[in-house]
Amino acid sequence: MGRKKKKQMKPWCWYCNRDFDDEKILIQHQKAKHFKCHICHKKLYTGPGLAIHCMQVHKETIDGVPNAIPGRTDIELEIYGMEGIPEKDMEERRRVLEQKNQETQKKKQNQDDSDEYDDEDEPGPSFQQPAAGQPQAGYIPSMSQPGMPPGSGAPGIPPGSYSGHSPYRMIPMGGMLPPGPGMPPMMAGVPPGMPPPVAHRPGITHMAQVPPAANMLTRPAVPAATVPSAQPDVTKPLFPIAGQSQQTVSGSPHPPPSTSSDPSKPTFPAYTQATVAVVSPNSGSSTVSKPPSTVTSKPATLTTSSATSKLIHPDEDISLEELRAQLPRYQRSVPRQAQSTATAPSMGPVGGMISPQQPGMRHPLPGQYGGPPQGMPGYMPGGMPPYGQAPPVVPPGFQGAPPRPPMGMRPPVMSPGGRY
Amino acid sequence: MFGYLIDVEVTSPPDDSISCLAFSPPTMPGNFLIGGSWANDVRCWEVQDNGQTVPKAQQMHTGPVLDACWSDDGSKVFTASCDKTAKMWDLNSNQAMQIAQHDGPIKAIHWIKAPNYSCIMTGSWDKTLKFWDTRSPNPMMSLQMPERCYCADVVYPMAVVATAERGLIVYQLENQPSEFRRIDSPLKHQHRCVAIFKDKQNKPTGFALGSIEGRVAIHYINPPNPAKDNFTFKCHRSNGTNTTTPQDIYAVNAISFHPVHGTLATVGSDGRFSFWDKDARTKLKTSEQLDQPITACCFNHNGNIFAYASSYDWSKGHEYYNPQKKNYIFLRNAAEELKPRNKKW
Repeated sequence: MGRKKKKQMKPWCWYCNRDFDDEKILIQHQKAKHFKCHICHKKLYTGPGLAIHCMQVHKETIDGVPNAIPGRTDIELEIYGMEGIPEKDMEERRRVLEQKNQETQKKKQNQDDSDEYDDEDEPGPSFQQPAAGQPQAGYIPSMSQPGMPPGSGAPGIPPGSYSGHSPYRMIPMGGMLPPGPGMPPMMAGVPPGMPPPVAHRPGITHMAQVPPAANMLTRPAVPAATVPSAQPDVTKPLFPIAGQSQQTVSGSPHPPPSTSSDPSKPTFPAYTQATVAVVSPNSGSSTVSKPPSTVTSKPATLTTSSATSKLIHPDEDISLEELRAQLPRYQRSVPRQAQSTATAPSMGPVGGMISPQQPGMRHPLPGQYGGPPQGMPGYMPGGMPPYGQAPPVVPPGFQGAPPRPPMGMRPPVMSPGGRY
Repeated sequence: MFGYLIDVEVTSPPDDSISCLAFSPPTMPGNFLIGGSWANDVRCWEVQDNGQTVPKAQQMHTGPVLDACWSDDGSKVFTASCDKTAKMWDLNSNQAMQIAQHDGPIKAIHWIKAPNYSCIMTGSWDKTLKFWDTRSPNPMMSLQMPERCYCADVVYPMAVVATAERGLIVYQLENQPSEFRRIDSPLKHQHRCVAIFKDKQNKPTGFALGSIEGRVAIHYINPPNPAKDNFTFKCHRSNGTNTTTPQDIYAVNAISFHPVHGTLATVGSDGRFSFWDKDARTKLKTSEQLDQPITACCFNHNGNIFAYASSYDWSKGHEYYNPQKKNYIFLRNAAEELKPRNKKW
């Protein structure tokens, strides 16, 4: 494959450090991502080719190769596929790969497998194929095993939610989990945060990542593993029905060892793994492939994550709604009795739709609230609405909050110079 | 249905940001839209065939409404609020009563209709997922989650919940709800929205998960080949591949699947919506940019109407909030634009 012999390693893109199976795919990638004119979208063959095109056709100079990582943006280097890569960069690449193989046997490089969709319908995302032999996890038994470590499961679920036994079979990950339902000594040697080989492919083998979590939860009580069936057809049920003994495991040629378990982890390894797995070498395209912790690292409201991209999101790890709900104006309003003086009816220009004297339309000011939760009949006069008119009703029983004095939400203003 | 050139504006929109939209189920004649907002209210409009919208009724909570859903027969609307309660709104009598209580704001509410039970599922920032028979003040079941619920979706017999710290849990709902699997997130940023999709046999088979980093993951529960079948795509970003200016990356605020075509819509903080064909892995359309983020979206039961809300989502923090700015809900004719492309691969 390719026009010349590969230099003894998988083809990779010098501009963005991504790996590819095939030099042809690499070249397609380069043409689409690095040698494409941003003005007219014409795909060129090389960096200098792109520069010349922009100059001649659009009278514009470009200062760097698009979507390249810093340090690899040189527009004058003539690189095509794997040809033209400076020797020292090749060396460095080999060294990095060596390092990676050695120190992280179980981790694979995270692959950002998405190319942005555009109207030109580029070929499908370039996946990095997982190494052979990674079995897929089949159905994992429901997490209702007794004796689960705290915080891991659902204490509210009565065991035996599937008629007392689980037809699910556990397909632990090969290589990580030795056979046998007991606690093999090997498991103890595994550091809690250590994922199995397949767990570090959040973009790819999601199935495979499940077993670590499942292992912890599905204690030795789980029956021995099953023989996977052949490739499933589309009509297989999503979740096997209780009582059926049919094997509905998604096809995996790898015969799994029998159940093993990993009892000692108090937390879900999947989550600690997930955060570890974030470190990604792939940042060549304009994706923001940074670990979530970076989001909180800067005090500014807009987090700049890299020179080429910026996340429009407040710099905190909580959700937008949580941030917003902290504001005093959104704090729990006090239920009030119906007011005779209306707060401004805010139904807008559709006058008369909602009768203006109905209280509780809106609380325009922080801390003030215009009415108890009640029905708001407001109908098109003359229409035949399906919902009958009804008098406002105070909800029975479940009062959300004890009644409070109307202005009780705000502490008294401090007198100047004093303390209260 | 109506076919006009510009999107119709819903009359009497809420006075603060719209957090959720939901259309009535097919069991009811006509189309009724409910929208919850940060003004503590949830409003109901009738959407007529000519596109006119008629405000019908509203209910209040004592805190911002974060989510709302319909019962399967269309007679009830369930609303969830920052006031830590959920209510059942009987539209025929226009009465609402509290049916759920959490220790924290309720972020997600869904109606579950199973052959042997029906209930409400509520997901809260108190890290619990509770199931309620609406007749009883105590939950039928309470499941502990690893983190705060950020979004959820239910298509029987499957439920998916995405939590803080990129948690992702799939539940199965047959016989009774139970946790099915915890999934390592396919995304590297905070989860924001999730929507289940179905296969050709109309069974739920996977979900689309959106994050704050302008990206959606398509994830199948049991694909024949996860490496090939699962993928992510970038969306709601600006500036293309121009190297000189940094690209702005916006949060995906909501995802909705077209009920007939199986194509999906995403709406983002950038103020645009996009339609996608996940099987052909192509983008079908991106809208013009509105001047506010789009915070919610939904399709009506037959997929002819796409509703989306334009209001501030806090993506630029408190400084950019303008309470005077009008909030909008638009309706768009969705019959044509969401047809799938032919498969390319």
